[in-house]
Amino acid sequence: MTAVAIDGSRTARGLAAAGLDFDALVREHQSMVFSLAYHFLHDRQAAEEVAQEVFLALHRSRAEIESPMHAAFWLRKVAAQRSIDEARRRRRRPQVALDAAPEPAAGVAPGDPMLGDLLRRLIATLPEAPRMVMVMRYQEDLEPAEIAALLDMPVTTVKSHLKRSLALLRGKLERRGVGEQ
Amino acid sequence: MDWLEQELKQALARKEPPGGFAERVRWSARRPRFVMARWVAAAAALVVMTGGSLAWREHQGRVAKEQVMTAMRITSAKLKHIQGHVREVRQ
Repeated sequence: MTAVAIDGSRTARGLAAAGLDFDALVREHQSMVFSLAYHFLHDRQAAEEVAQEVFLALHRSRAEIESPMHAAFWLRKVAAQRSIDEARRRRRRPQVALDAAPEPAAGVAPGDPMLGDLLRRLIATLPEAPRMVMVMRYQEDLEPAEIAALLDMPVTTVKSHLKRSLALLRGKLERRGVGEQ
Repeated sequence: MDWLEQELKQALARKEPPGGFAERVRWSARRPRFVMARWVAAAAALVVMTGGSLAWREHQGRVAKEQVMTAMRITSAKLKHIQGHVREVRQ
């Protein structure tokens, strides 16, 4: 498939034109797509369904993909959109305020595997936008500008979500004696 | 990056999807063709039904026209017969 570029020249498009193979893309990005959905929805089955939908959408849109970088960007963006849609549609898990989140077990300290589980549960209680921002930041190690491009929101909003969510988590943990010793 | 951010990175590290995920995706990716085939079949059935309906209506129209023509012929024959009687009575 060809498309007319901005300068009027014809450019090749599509997975094949970009030297990409659908199966290889699934293998390469399956953990990224699945984890974005899993950390956002906190539900393995729902995350698998969302991840599958995302790759099927890629298969349908394979003619639009221009490069490996574009494929990764596209997958992250669609995974975020589908995860948010799924959360809104299913409302499986009632939204719980951070203050109502489960108490950490006594003696949890940095480096403790139980702290990781607690953090995942606390993140799952954040509202949709800051939750996705946190997942993008700490799962994918993306910069605020990259997250802003993916989620179609201003960089200042991304930074604000990060700052506020970190403060909420820190306060919640430190009030219960979980923090840097 | 402080201790909390380090912990978040570990807590949100990527996880592998359940086994066989890639195979299930590949299998599902082939399914849309069947979905397309179903759409084509549904469209074909619609065309056949619409065509059949039009043909049936056309057939009904032809039958109605023939019935009207037969009625006209009978009426015409009756009129001729009555005209003949009227002429005989006048003569």
